Amino acid sequence: MNTRSLSFRLVAWYAGVLTTVFILLGLLTFFLLRHYLEVNLLDIQARRARQIADTLVARIRRSDETKLGGEVESLYSPEANDRFIRITRSDGTVVYASGAPKDARFDPVLVPPLPLGVPAADTRKVGPIGGSLLIAARDTKASDGTIYRVEVGASGAPSEATLKHVLMMLAVGLSIAVAVAVAGGFVLVRRALVPVERIAHKAEEITQHNLSERLPVVHSGDEIERLSVSLNHMIARLEDAIHGSKQFVADASHELRTPLTVMRGELESLAQDVLLKRETRESLGSVLEEVGRLAEIVEGLFALSRLDAGEAPAECVRFDLSDLAVTTAEQMSLLAEDKRVTLTCVSSGEVPVKGDRARLKQVVVNLLDNAIKYTASGGQVSLRVRHEGAYAILDVTDTGIGIPASALPHVFKRFFRVDGSRSREQGGAGLGLSIVKSICTAHGAVLEVSSAPGRGSTFRVKQPLANDDVSAQFS
Amino acid sequence: MRMLLVEDEKKVSDLVARALRAERFAVDVADDGNRGWELAEAYDYDLIILDLMLPGLGGTELLQRIRRKNQQVPILILTARDATAEKVRNFEAGADDYLTKPFAFAELVMRVKALLRRGPVARSSVLRVADLEVDRLTQQVRRGGRRIELTPKEYALLEYLASNPGRVFSRTMIIEHVWDESFEGLTNIVDVYVRHLRSKVDDPFQIKLIRTVRGVGYGLGESTDP
Repeated sequence: MNTRSLSFRLVAWYAGVLTTVFILLGLLTFFLLRHYLEVNLLDIQARRARQIADTLVARIRRSDETKLGGEVESLYSPEANDRFIRITRSDGTVVYASGAPKDARFDPVLVPPLPLGVPAADTRKVGPIGGSLLIAARDTKASDGTIYRVEVGASGAPSEATLKHVLMMLAVGLSIAVAVAVAGGFVLVRRALVPVERIAHKAEEITQHNLSERLPVVHSGDEIERLSVSLNHMIARLEDAIHGSKQFVADASHELRTPLTVMRGELESLAQDVLLKRETRESLGSVLEEVGRLAEIVEGLFALSRLDAGEAPAECVRFDLSDLAVTTAEQMSLLAEDKRVTLTCVSSGEVPVKGDRARLKQVVVNLLDNAIKYTASGGQVSLRVRHEGAYAILDVTDTGIGIPASALPHVFKRFFRVDGSRSREQGGAGLGLSIVKSICTAHGAVLEVSSAPGRGSTFRVKQPLANDDVSAQFS
Repeated sequence: MRMLLVEDEKKVSDLVARALRAERFAVDVADDGNRGWELAEAYDYDLIILDLMLPGLGGTELLQRIRRKNQQVPILILTARDATAEKVRNFEAGADDYLTKPFAFAELVMRVKALLRRGPVARSSVLRVADLEVDRLTQQVRRGGRRIELTPKEYALLEYLASNPGRVFSRTMIIEHVWDESFEGLTNIVDVYVRHLRSKVDDPFQIKLIRTVRGVGYGLGESTDP
């Protein structure tokens, strides 16, 4: 699971907050309950102590104090009720003390006597003697003026057991609540984020060739709808801008053609005039060469703008890429021979692809021409065609000068030259690879390049194999 | 032979007219579609050259009108647009050939001649330039009676140059005729082949037949250079 994903973070935050709140709530409940139970228990003891003091102790005299025990026993039977009762005279003599309780939760013998001179607190708690004992005390005057202290206590154990039970219920109940809430929250967040996934997926598919497509908009009225609508507006603006620049290139190439025609025509007729001086003819020739280069650039730009505009290919047929590669390599072999570069072509059987044969041939021609151009004499250029899975792979490898890593991402850009001065001497308009790239894109093929400067480069075209039941996909 | 040129770019029409007149054709020039239609209606031309981007009556419209009136006259389209779809549309409307600007004038003249020559024309199977013989049937080449062995591409190149002795062919024209459109822009391949051809056809002989006109292209014929 991606711990940085929005859904994970939302749910984690939500679960954390929920757990903290539940724990605090549980603790509060626990402590309040404990306090309430204790106060309640003490209150009961205090009332009983007052009862004993008022009804039994206040009526007797010192000489009758021995009867007190019997009366307390008969009225309250403290052992059977798990209670602690003790009556002490003010001089410290214990007049009566209850025995061990039936449930043996405390040992009355161990309950420390209240020291003399200490004013009888209303209540007190004696530490755990096999469980805490809550004791309420009351001082009262017998009918002859003797002061007695009545202490009534009860074990805190039952309420502690209750508390423990409550604590357990809270822990289990709250854990389940948190778990259910987190699971529910996760599902909700995931569901809320599904459109985001879809938008991201679609956005990845949109390139300059299918800018007319739009992101899916779910009319949910939420932020995601707003986001997809704004993104769609942005794509529309992009489309306008790209369309505008393509239109500009098309118009510009078009406008450049007429003057180029005139220049070329005038110069050509001049250049063929036999009465011209040799130098004049040379200059004319040089100008004509530049006009030719200009015309080539205009043609290249025009071809690119047409490819970019997604003009339907002239034809779409099934053919053998391997056959195309072999014949093209043959046609270009003299070019390689002339430079003393070895051109080899390796193919493994038929590799059927679908597309515009002439344009795909241009891909092979341009790649081979480039490879031969940038390979010094004695070097090697090899063309390999094979199929790999559902793809046709065409590799053009050379042992040429290579391309520096910093330039690799740019080699398919228009007019890009690794090193202006060197490349210019080799001729070309700087559009060859851009055209290759555009043709590949139009055929659903991927064009990749890898290179080691000084050792050579490999250009790879990876195109889906022709499938008889699938019509070729053109953008 | 009389032909009509409908082209609104004055400089282009001047050039084309000049090139055609140099070939002894009579050329009428119209600088907009309406004037072109008037002329086409009034005279019986042997060939019509039509620019597509015209003020007034558009080129395609004019093409359709001419075709409704006259099924026979060959029509050559000049255009600065060369989208395939448009080409197909114009061929369907009745165009016979198509030339995209910027074109070489030699190419224009060649195409005009080719259009006028259409139909059953008895052509000799052997092309002769000075003492060079190119036999189109057997694809054999002899010079001064001596047999010269050529590769198929070299032969195709030589035959193309010999088809119109004295004319200079641009590299682009040569590519289009001898190779195919995939090689457009790869003009250096022409230079390499011409060099190889020269080594076989010219080097062993005193008189050089393959001419280079810098910036323009190559031609075949006895050199007129001083």
